[in-house]
Formats: sequence, C-alpha cells, structure tokens
Amino acid sequence: MNRITRRKFLKLSAGAFVVTLLPKPLLSGEQKVINGPLIGVAHGEKSKLVNAAVNAIGGIEKFINKGDRVCIKPNISFAANVDCGATTSPEVVKQVVQLCLDAGASKVIILDHTIQDATLCIEKSRIEEAIIDDKKVSLLPLTKERQFAEVEVPHGEELKSIKVAKAIQTADKLINLPTAKSHSATGVSLGMKNLMGLIWNRGYLHRMNLHKAIAELATVIKSDITIVDATRALTSGGPGGPGETVTLNTVIAGSDIVAVDSYTVGITPWYKKSFVGTNLKYLVAASDMALGEINTDKMTIKKVEV
Amino acid sequence: MTAKRTKYHLILRWIIQIFFLSLFIYSFIQTRYGIAVTSQNIFLRFDPLVLIITSIAYRTIITAALLSVLLIVGTLIFGRFFCGFVCPLGTAIDIFDTISNHKKDIKLSLKNGKYLILLFLIVSALIGSSFLHFFDPLVIFERSLTLVFYPALTYLISIFAIITDAVYIETILAFIVFAAIIGLGILAPRFWCRNLCPLGGVLAVLSKFSLFKFSFLQGCKSCGVCTDICPTSAINFQEERIDGAECIDCLRCHYECPHNVVSYRINLSFTPYNITRRQFISVFGAGLVAVPLARSLIYQRLEGRLIRPPGSIPEPDFLNVCIHCGKCMKICPTNGLQPCILEAGINGLWTPRLVSRIGGCEKNCNMCGQVCPTSAIRNLPLEEKTYVKMGTAVIDRSRCIAWEQDKVCLICDEACPYNAINSLSETVRESTLLRPFVDERICTGCGLCEARCPIEGASAIQIFSISEERKKTGTYITEEKVRLRACEDKLEDIPSGFIVE
Repeated sequence: MNRITRRKFLKLSAGAFVVTLLPKPLLSGEQKVINGPLIGVAHGEKSKLVNAAVNAIGGIEKFINKGDRVCIKPNISFAANVDCGATTSPEVVKQVVQLCLDAGASKVIILDHTIQDATLCIEKSRIEEAIIDDKKVSLLPLTKERQFAEVEVPHGEELKSIKVAKAIQTADKLINLPTAKSHSATGVSLGMKNLMGLIWNRGYLHRMNLHKAIAELATVIKSDITIVDATRALTSGGPGGPGETVTLNTVIAGSDIVAVDSYTVGITPWYKKSFVGTNLKYLVAASDMALGEINTDKMTIKKVEV
Repeated sequence: MTAKRTKYHLILRWIIQIFFLSLFIYSFIQTRYGIAVTSQNIFLRFDPLVLIITSIAYRTIITAALLSVLLIVGTLIFGRFFCGFVCPLGTAIDIFDTISNHKKDIKLSLKNGKYLILLFLIVSALIGSSFLHFFDPLVIFERSLTLVFYPALTYLISIFAIITDAVYIETILAFIVFAAIIGLGILAPRFWCRNLCPLGGVLAVLSKFSLFKFSFLQGCKSCGVCTDICPTSAINFQEERIDGAECIDCLRCHYECPHNVVSYRINLSFTPYNITRRQFISVFGAGLVAVPLARSLIYQRLEGRLIRPPGSIPEPDFLNVCIHCGKCMKICPTNGLQPCILEAGINGLWTPRLVSRIGGCEKNCNMCGQVCPTSAIRNLPLEEKTYVKMGTAVIDRSRCIAWEQDKVCLICDEACPYNAINSLSETVRESTLLRPFVDERICTGCGLCEARCPIEGASAIQIFSISEERKKTGTYITEEKVRLRACEDKLEDIPSGFIVE
C-alpha cells in the first residue's frame, strides 16, 4: 500500500502552490483560445456579408467539397413580409447558394418544413430569388410525412426518436441558415431553434421540456456550418411577427452551433433587455450536454467590416 | 345508307362538347391560390338559373350573374344549343350514355318534370329560400369536381409526387348526387336533361319562342328515323312537328334524315305546354312546405362554431346567395374551407365553413372572395379582409398544456399573425410561467392558432362565432381596429426561455 507521508504531502502541496503562481497564459488561457470555437462576424454592406463571415472562419472550401450535395435550411416558416424579419432574407440565402456553387457543390437543396401554408411562405419570403441555377439549385418544401424518416435519439431524455427530413439524411452537408428573431417560448430563435424546421412533428417538442428537447434535437441533426442572418432582427413579437425589427447588417458564421447562437444573443437587446447566451435555457441545456461553447470569452471571434 | 354521313356531324358535336368540357375543367384547375382570378368563375356567371333564382331569393339582382343575359338572348335566337354543346354535365351524361349501352326502348318520359322543378325553385325563392344548389347542373358539376374528383385525383398524384392533396369532410353526398344524375341515363338517354334539369327548363321555356328551330320541309315520307334517333324525343314525325323546347340542337335529325327534309331555319311556331293544374298546385304546396322546414338554423345555435369565409354577407342572405358551388373551397390554400353538412341547417349543405382545425384563414389571402361567382363572399381588398372579424378564439384552459401542464408551448402566440395572443406570466398552483391569453379586441377568428395547437384531437384554442361581423355593404376597417392592430399597448412578458436574474 502506498501511504502518503507527511513529507510527500508537503512536497505536493508546495508544488501545487507554485503552479498556481505561474502566469495565466502558460496554464490554460492560450490553450483554450486555440481549442475554442471560431466565430466569423461580418458587418456592413449587405451583399458582401456572407462571403466575409465565411472567409473569417476559413472559407467555404473548409466546409464544402467538390461534388457535395448541400442542403440549406433557411427559415421561411412564416408568410410574413421579408422586411418583418420573421424569415431569412432572400439576398442572404442567395449569397450562401452562390458560395456553395463556387465551392463546386453538385446540388444545392433549399428546404424547410414551413409553419404556415408552404405556397404562401414561398411567395412572401421571396425564397425563389435564391434559385440562381435551375439545374443545380432546387427548392424543397417539406409538406408530407413521407418526406421524413424516423431517427433514434441516443441518450435522449426528452426525445427518444424523431422524424427527420430524408433530404438531409442523404445529403453530404447541411448549412443552417436562420434569421435572428425573438421567440415567444424559447426567447430567441436562432440556429438551434431553426433545426425544428427539419422535423415532421414540430408541435410535439412543445409538449415536453422544450428547451432540453431543442438541445437534444441538435445531437441528431448536425449542421456543418451555421450562418445567422442578422441583417435585421425581429427583437419582439417573434417568431411570426409583427414586432419590433432592428437593422443590424450583420452575418455571423461558425461551425459550433451553440457558440454561434450564444454570440448572436448578445448582439442586440431582446424584448428591450440585454441578454447573453447563458441567459437562455436551451443554450444552457446544450452546453450541459457538451454540444458546444456557450461562453463568449472562450471563443475566437473574428470581426470583419465590409 | 346514312352510315358514312352520320360520322361527321357526330364527331363535330363531340369535338365542341369536349372542348367546352375541357374549358370548364381547365378553369376549375386554374382556380387556385397564386393565379389571379379573371375568368375562373365565368361558366357559373353565364348560368341564367343562378341569375333568376338567386336574385329572387335575395330580392336584389345578382350583378355578377348578369352575363347570363347573353345566354338568354342566344337561346331566344338559336334554341337550346347550350344543352347539346356546352353544358359539361350534359357532356358527362353523353359520355356515360355512350359507354353504358342502355336499352333504347325504355323511353320513360317526364317532360314536365323540369318545368315543375323550375317552378318549385321559383316558388321557394319567392317564399324565401333558394334550393338552386340541389338542381343546377353547372353547380352540381362544379361541386362534384371540387369535392369528389379533385381530391381523388390529388390523392392519386400524391402517390407518385409531393403535392398538396385536398381533403374534404363531406364528399359522399356530393358523389351520390352526381352518380345518380349520370346513372339516370340507364332509364333513357339524357334522362336528367330532358326531364329534370331546371336550367334545361329555363332554356326550354325560352327556346319555345326561339327564332331558329329545326323544322320539317315538304316531302316527308314518314319513315320515323328521326323520332328513333332523337336523344330528347322532341320529334313527332306523324305530325311533322319538332318541339323547340325539347330539341337540344344536336343536329342528328338534320344529317340523318334519309330524305333531307329536316332543316334548321327561322320558325316562329309554338308547341303549347301541358302542365296540369294539379301539378302546378302540388309544386306550389311543395315550396310552401320545403322552405320553412329547410330554413331552420337551429344547428348553428347549438354549436356556435359556424365560421363563414371572411367577408360573407349576413347569414339568412348568405344561404340564398351562395350557390354552394365549392369554388371557395377549391381555392382555399390551407384547405380550411370545408363543406357544411348540417351545421347550417339542411339547406346549408355544402356551404363553405372555416374548419380551423384543418387550416386557418391566411392573413395574405382573399381568394375566396375573389372567386365567388355571386359575391356571397364579398370581394374585399386584401387589407380590408384582414380586418374582418370572423369570430373569436377561446382558450380551454383545462386542455391547454401551457395552462394545465406548465409546458412552454405558446404555439398559438407564435401562429397568430395579428398579435392577438398575449403571453403573460401567471401563477397557477405556485408555478409561474407564461400562459396564453386572447385579446378578443384584436383577434379576427382566423383560426391559425386552432390549426396549430399541438394537443391531440380538438384544439385547446377554438374559434367561436363570438362578435362575428357580417356586412352586406360598407367597410370593415374602423379607426378603432387600426389603432388596436398597431399593438402599441400590447402586453408582452419576457419569454420563459430566458433565465432572468
């Protein structure tokens, strides 16, 4: 048996004490900055925002390979005017589609399971403007149960299994393209909430612990990159509007969905109050499940002005 | 002898009939959201029966149906050409008759039936109820397309492709009516057209006096071929007389007479009616009994859930002006407009009703008003339509999961495009959470909340016809409503998704 002698104990204690005296960067700080998620934030001229934000996190080539089938999930769930901010603006979607095509994507599918009638949502969100190449780009409204297939949720406490759009199950890449808006139940609707537009029975999540269910959904649907359209934000009255809309001319991109959401929460007040990521129950739940970084201090944030 | 000659005129008539049938079906298919309404309802507006009966029952001329004056004039000149060439139901009957090879020797004839039904419609309209929708061939055909054939077609297509399939609560009665009318062809060709169709009755009355008629020339050898082939038994070869009221201008006698003695020309002779006084009095009595029986609105009172499309005129008039054609249900993009069964009384069968659980009334849509052929649903501008109060949402707190089970639901708030639902902190059994409240001043009763309520079965938020607005004329927009719509004094608590210190 290896007993700890008094001498050994004193030696160890002294050593531990010395370690605490070491300058911070040597300990952990720098290490964490390197491992922490990278967030690209572009602000300024609308037409260049997506490009700048994606370039800040390493360029689209880092995420999309030649020949990939890419699914883009904007939020076009409401038949509201684009200016209202309840839907992703078509200009931003168009830029993302262009990036995918530039990176050599063989097929780009824009899809959403809309809340209101799909025809009206497509008309009002003007999403068809993003179909810049008739052969490679297509729009897929998810309206039928058979467009979804059951997926098990491993270790799910709220969700055991969920019906997920088949299109993203067969695609190579998924780009999550939410718009920044408030939400009457979850507080804000950003990247993680946007994933609910890829499942069949969305109302079902509201019948359980919604915040946790949203976090668990993100364990099943993994987007390769999340790009938040914060050109304008619906800061109250969301998710359908009408409400207060502020112009921010910002696009945030990153591969860590929790980090992107958490950062975006802080860029503008919601319901006339300032919040950070840790104020949001669904983000805390996601952070507890180690889905990503919630603390903005631990992210590398590259801000670009265009 | 005449075999080779017969073909051309028969083919010609088939071509014209199929053309009009296709046109009818095309305008039916074009009746959908996203396509501007221009002439999709033109067939129904050409229907003189709609003009006559609806105008009598409403005590006001239905201006949209004045187009049918053209058909009236046309019939006064050329006779019942509409029945033989244009009527889509007539064409459908012809197709069935051709396929079904019925025995031609059973020629059951109730020629006066159509006049009696027409008389019944006029009498009942005078007393105060329109029964047009049970008998008008264009309405029956249009409604059968909407409630029977279109849902069947979309279902079949949706097996192979992703399309929105239309589903309706009531299809079987509409199908039975259609099948019965077509099936009557077993008794005799065009049985419906000859004996029962009241539109045929109107046109028959007119064509008794029509300028042009088929008539006998000199030199008839009394061979009887014409009487045998006439699909409406209009020809009496012994008396060398063709009844202008029965003749549908099908051309057969003209082309198939072995001696070429039947010709289409100006003829002012007149075949008298033979309606007996007894028949006349029975029909009058039937109207007297039917109207009070059918006017019962008791069902509406029982449920309070009869929500009419936005801009519908007040209820007793609505039942008379609405011809139950189903155009509004066809065009409704959410499929929320459904046919009534008994919700509006017996005479309200197939009238449109918003069943919000199936689909709400979208804020950005006013198609039902645009397409209504008789303006029973007024054609309101989009902006004004959003101000029509169709009813009010009521939350059943004992079923609502935000109230009863402390869930973070609030989907009704999310769904409401008018901000009529306030999510406010409320303590229930020591648990404080956001719960939905309806602001009944702002709620329009569109039912988008009811459609999306996530609980199983009946929604926990339902639209009742509380403070429903129905105006014959005048605007629905008031200053008060505009002020409330701006939501300046809207109550809004911080969503419970936030952790607030």
